[in-house]
Amino acid sequence: MFQYFLRRALVAVPAVLGVIVIVFAMVRLAPGDPAILLAGEFADQQTVERIRVRFGLDRPMPEQFALFVGNLAQGDLGRSTRTNRLVINDIRERFPNTLELAFAAIVVAFAIGIPAGVISALKRNTWADAAVTFFALLGVSMPVFWFGLLAILYFSVQLGWFPVSGRGTFGHLILPAITLGVSSTAIIARMTRSAMLEVLDQDFVRTARAKGLQGRLIVVKHALRNALIPVVTIGGLEFGNLMAGAVLTETVFNWPGIGRLLVDSILARDYPVVQASVLVIALTFIVVNLLVDLVYGAIDPRIRYD
Amino acid sequence: MTDRQKRAPRWRRRLFGNGLAIVGFAIIGFFLLFVTFAPFLAPYSPTHQSLRTTYVPPGTGVTYRGPDGELGLFVSPVTRSPVGGISVTEDEKYPVRLFVRGAEYEWAFGLIRSDLRLFGVDGPPNVRFHLLGTDEQGRDLFSRLVHGAWISLFIGLISVGIGVGVGVPFGAISGFLGGATDMIAQRLVDMLLAFPGILLAIVLVATFGTGLTNVMIAVGIASIPIYARLVRGSVLSVKNREYVEAARAMGKRGMPILFRHVLPNAIAPVIVQSSLQMAVAILFAAGLGFLGLGARPPQPEWGLMLARGREYLAVAPHVATFPGLAIVAVVLGFNLVGDALRDALDPRR
Repeated sequence: MFQYFLRRALVAVPAVLGVIVIVFAMVRLAPGDPAILLAGEFADQQTVERIRVRFGLDRPMPEQFALFVGNLAQGDLGRSTRTNRLVINDIRERFPNTLELAFAAIVVAFAIGIPAGVISALKRNTWADAAVTFFALLGVSMPVFWFGLLAILYFSVQLGWFPVSGRGTFGHLILPAITLGVSSTAIIARMTRSAMLEVLDQDFVRTARAKGLQGRLIVVKHALRNALIPVVTIGGLEFGNLMAGAVLTETVFNWPGIGRLLVDSILARDYPVVQASVLVIALTFIVVNLLVDLVYGAIDPRIRYD
Repeated sequence: MTDRQKRAPRWRRRLFGNGLAIVGFAIIGFFLLFVTFAPFLAPYSPTHQSLRTTYVPPGTGVTYRGPDGELGLFVSPVTRSPVGGISVTEDEKYPVRLFVRGAEYEWAFGLIRSDLRLFGVDGPPNVRFHLLGTDEQGRDLFSRLVHGAWISLFIGLISVGIGVGVGVPFGAISGFLGGATDMIAQRLVDMLLAFPGILLAIVLVATFGTGLTNVMIAVGIASIPIYARLVRGSVLSVKNREYVEAARAMGKRGMPILFRHVLPNAIAPVIVQSSLQMAVAILFAAGLGFLGLGARPPQPEWGLMLARGREYLAVAPHVATFPGLAIVAVVLGFNLVGDALRDALDPRR
């Protein structure tokens, strides 16, 4: 068991390394002098030179990379070229907001996706099944930002049920969470449906039926519990994707998260912040996927530890 | 060979016997028609501005009875007054007709010049029929959507082309050679897959600059690891089959075996993925356009149009609604076809 965990964790190492390398390469591959990119286009010559020395941009690449990793390990991500604030402070401020949004979205996705999938599987080949299948397809085909805009238009502007944008009360959270959760809901519903169909066909469900157990009990206690294992896994992996999806949702709803920070800083060519935001989103994705793998290994006895 | 001839109709029957697949193919067919015949189908130029007719909602000034009470589609002149509000000159009515002469356009890369449009107003040029209304600069929304269709198609094709062109050989060679090559190649793929969804494309655009061309390349690069992983898996499952062994026994070696015997039998998942990837690419590119990282004004890219419409959401919701519907339709089309292809080509069924 421990070996399995260790092996999983080791697989994540090249991924983490890859993220660091790519973020490191971003500024160096971008057209223009990296020192100017990191100092900001309006910085004076003195500041540019200071930045050049500070990040070792006048040294050979391997040395630059070592310095970059060293700074990273100390949480030193530089300063924003727009606000001159320490980037780490921006991240610290914004990151929990994105987590909050992604978490709310995954709750929405499970709360709607699992029942929809179960109904779809139980009522196979009926209109209910067709409706779930159709909406699931629609859910993955819809641009989230468009869905978000329509939601704002109808529920905030016309009906006035929710605030138009921003973060604060519980009401602020509802529309963004649903918007961000739409495609995950669709994916979880489809996954639940196929997992349920597979499980309902198996011997132990037939045995439960033969024992004379009631229909609902079979569904909940025997079938769903087994079908949920892959569903939870997919849901976990979706959580990682939500971190990236938040870029669009946060822009639509003016949600002060890390996704919007990323977009704003790209548009303002604020490279230190771009680097840090990408790093944090990608690392969270890796960590979440790793955790999902570990949990999966722990709850599913069928996983072999070799 | 006879075996294959017998089997071909079966997957075709499966594919075309599927109602949803037909819907998908129909959507893609219409989409291609729009791309091909854009200037003929669109009544106006996508960039023609008219500041006297900004944010006209669809249906404004449109009536179904002519000046003499006859049935038909008629439009009256519409103007936005400087103080706001739209006034319709109802005593003037002009019929909307099929095959109307409008402004001249070039088609087929300038080879054909014409002024024939599928539909338009038979009347003075300042009276216009806006099927889907106008945007903030008074441009005809329908014409912009039609003229923007090729952008979405190109984004999809180029991204899938990059993904297939680089990812397929990469994954195939990695799986076929195995050993250390495979190890290193797969760790590279791991690195790229460490970026969730749209993030890798955003990173590439942030590095190499915004704009439509870079978006296409970025979305393409972001799909390389998916193809590489997919093809590697298929190659691994095929490379030790009997017919490959047979080819080996006949003295064939290395790459010829890969390209003649292994790859053709591992290609079905690539076809399925490509249809789904078209959908993803169009969504990603629209997302980047929406964020202001993709196409630039006045390009009629659907994501960008949506972003513009967002600013006027409360006054003119139609400006953001229709580009979104267009994206949904096209993406749904490719997803439906992809799903149907997967079912049809699945050897287990």
